[in-house]
Amino acid sequence: MWETLAQAVINGLLIGGIYALVSIGVTLIFGVVKIVNFAQGEFVMLGMYISFFLATQFGIDPLVSLVVSMPVLFVAGVLIQHFLIRRVLGPNDMPQIFLTFALSLLLLNLSLMLFSANYRTVHTSYSDEAWHIGGLYIPVAKLIAFAVAMALSGLLWVFLHTTDLGRAMRAASQNRDVAMLMGINPNRVFAVAFGTALALAGAAGSLLMPFYSAYPFVGQVFVLMAFVAVVMGTLGNVMGALVASLMMGIAESLGIQFVGADSGLIVVFALLLLTLAFRPSGLGARRGR
Amino acid sequence: MPRSHRGNAMTGDRKPSAINNAVPTKASQKKLNRRRFLVKSGGVLAAGAFGAVPLRGWAADPINIGALYPSTGSMAQIGVGCVAAAKLAVDMVNEAGGIKSLGGAKLNLIVSDVQSDTTVTRTETDRLISGNKLSAIHGCYASALTLIASEVCERARVPIITGSSSDQLNKGRSYTFTPFARASQFAKAQLQMAKLVSEQAKVAVIFENTAFGTSTSNGLKELAPGEGVEIVMFEPYSAGFTDASPLINKVKASGANTLFSLSYLNDLILIVRTVKQVGLNIAINGGSGGFVMPDFYKNVGKAAEGLQGVAHWNHDVNDDAQKVNAEFKKRTGEFAFEYAGGLVAQTFMLADALERAASADPKKVREALSTLDVSSGYAAMAPGGKVKFGPDGKNVYGRPVGVQWQNADLASIFPKEDARAPLMKT
Repeated sequence: MWETLAQAVINGLLIGGIYALVSIGVTLIFGVVKIVNFAQGEFVMLGMYISFFLATQFGIDPLVSLVVSMPVLFVAGVLIQHFLIRRVLGPNDMPQIFLTFALSLLLLNLSLMLFSANYRTVHTSYSDEAWHIGGLYIPVAKLIAFAVAMALSGLLWVFLHTTDLGRAMRAASQNRDVAMLMGINPNRVFAVAFGTALALAGAAGSLLMPFYSAYPFVGQVFVLMAFVAVVMGTLGNVMGALVASLMMGIAESLGIQFVGADSGLIVVFALLLLTLAFRPSGLGARRGR
Repeated sequence: MPRSHRGNAMTGDRKPSAINNAVPTKASQKKLNRRRFLVKSGGVLAAGAFGAVPLRGWAADPINIGALYPSTGSMAQIGVGCVAAAKLAVDMVNEAGGIKSLGGAKLNLIVSDVQSDTTVTRTETDRLISGNKLSAIHGCYASALTLIASEVCERARVPIITGSSSDQLNKGRSYTFTPFARASQFAKAQLQMAKLVSEQAKVAVIFENTAFGTSTSNGLKELAPGEGVEIVMFEPYSAGFTDASPLINKVKASGANTLFSLSYLNDLILIVRTVKQVGLNIAINGGSGGFVMPDFYKNVGKAAEGLQGVAHWNHDVNDDAQKVNAEFKKRTGEFAFEYAGGLVAQTFMLADALERAASADPKKVREALSTLDVSSGYAAMAPGGKVKFGPDGKNVYGRPVGVQWQNADLASIFPKEDARAPLMKT
């Protein structure tokens, strides 16, 4: 019993790391640029395909291809922000919603056309390996993915708290108008935020590749959990999204283990409702505000 | 986890007229029409004058066959293969001279994308029937979609022939024909195969909570006691999960020695890989669905060797099937999977019915299908080797074939009459 419970928590925690990378991206964009990026899942998908093609064409390990997928998606993010998002930023939300939604549709259908609907898998030496400790097992590929995801989240935290640009981003997310009055260049901050969010999605894609299949719809599997985590962890709060993602992963795993394999999401959404009932603005909200 | 298919909204309903975006003025349109008329009538006159075109053959109207498959969305992978097989089948019938009783009329395949979505399936089936003069329809491979399509076909009185296995397709329907083994028969075959591995079969059943998974698993549960097989775990899951570990964790705790996984491809890949990671020593029977697809081996690799499954059709069934397989391989690079091969057989069943009906009228085609009785040729290439429909549209000779992955290919191993290779011990 305890063994099963421990194993369920391990499984949930490991997949929660991937949810975290996706949700941190969504929450970063929301916090700084104040738009909801519906296409975040599609950028995870692009990250997966980048790693897949580097692995099959050049024999590059998916984890190593992180150094390609992250910069590529960072640049894509900066360009998207500069040429598309910047033009619809204004008092009206609708154009922004339609823009990111259209981007999602475009990328989905483009990848269906270019890559077909087939499932693509990469085999690495560690793909099917696992460490066995007592009665428990820890899949190596997922452990690596989790560790890198946590390291990247940590780096982001350090960046946001110690560099000028990071502080500017946090300032913009706390109060955009005041930040601008203080001389922060919004376009630069927005571009970096969007680029960073997409780079994180790309990282999630590369980290997933050793143990998950790439296909055009793959992003939508992950983005649902990411949105739940973003709401639960308070919109715009990076640390909240991280913690909420790990909780979601564990809740889903426990749900599958103890409620039923077709109802893992029941526990996830029950947790979300409970959180919203007692902390309406999410786990990451400051008290007394 | 629910997957939205909003991505496909753009790919549906593409009529050729929409491509013609250069709008001609009235005058030029007139000229265009006149020119087109001259070209057509002139061509016919000239051909008639020189006796180049045998008028009878030219005059036979093509027979429209509708094909409903998901070529986009989450089920697209198999759907696209089905469309390739449907085209191959029509080419084969046409190259062999078409329908002779209708003056050598050719089959004309009209493909419609049902986008892996039940709502779209309903509207597309409606649109296909109302927009074309169809003699028959085949589709949709996935039971969840076929159940909807067959309802629409029943109302419109157009016969539908399908490789889908849900037993519900044989209830209260008179225009639906199912030439292959039913889900309940698959279940029996799977249980008997479990005893090939161990006499004390303790089985864990995991199935996706769709029409296909539910109908198959219920069949397993009902039949297990009669076959002397103990079911120690019985668990539905929602298709499209991110992580199979919790589920496999549960299987491990159940103490089963055989795992029945009733899943489509992506989930199954995750399940098999996770079983290997956990180091669980368990015989896996992947059932049908994604498991008996060429892509399964490509994705799972050597770990797939020795895994067992069941299919309603396999390419080593007989010589005709081998021929179809060779041609399909030439066109697509893959071996003919069960739905692909089954579809070729189904098209030949339709051709046989059209031949006997000597009419393209869907009601007459239905009559002819209901009296179909074949035991040779492409129409009969199925496990059992014979096709004859009962009053419920079920092939009275239909039975599934047990298969095993051996050397990157699917070999028929069960039952004895259909076995083409011995069981590989793992």
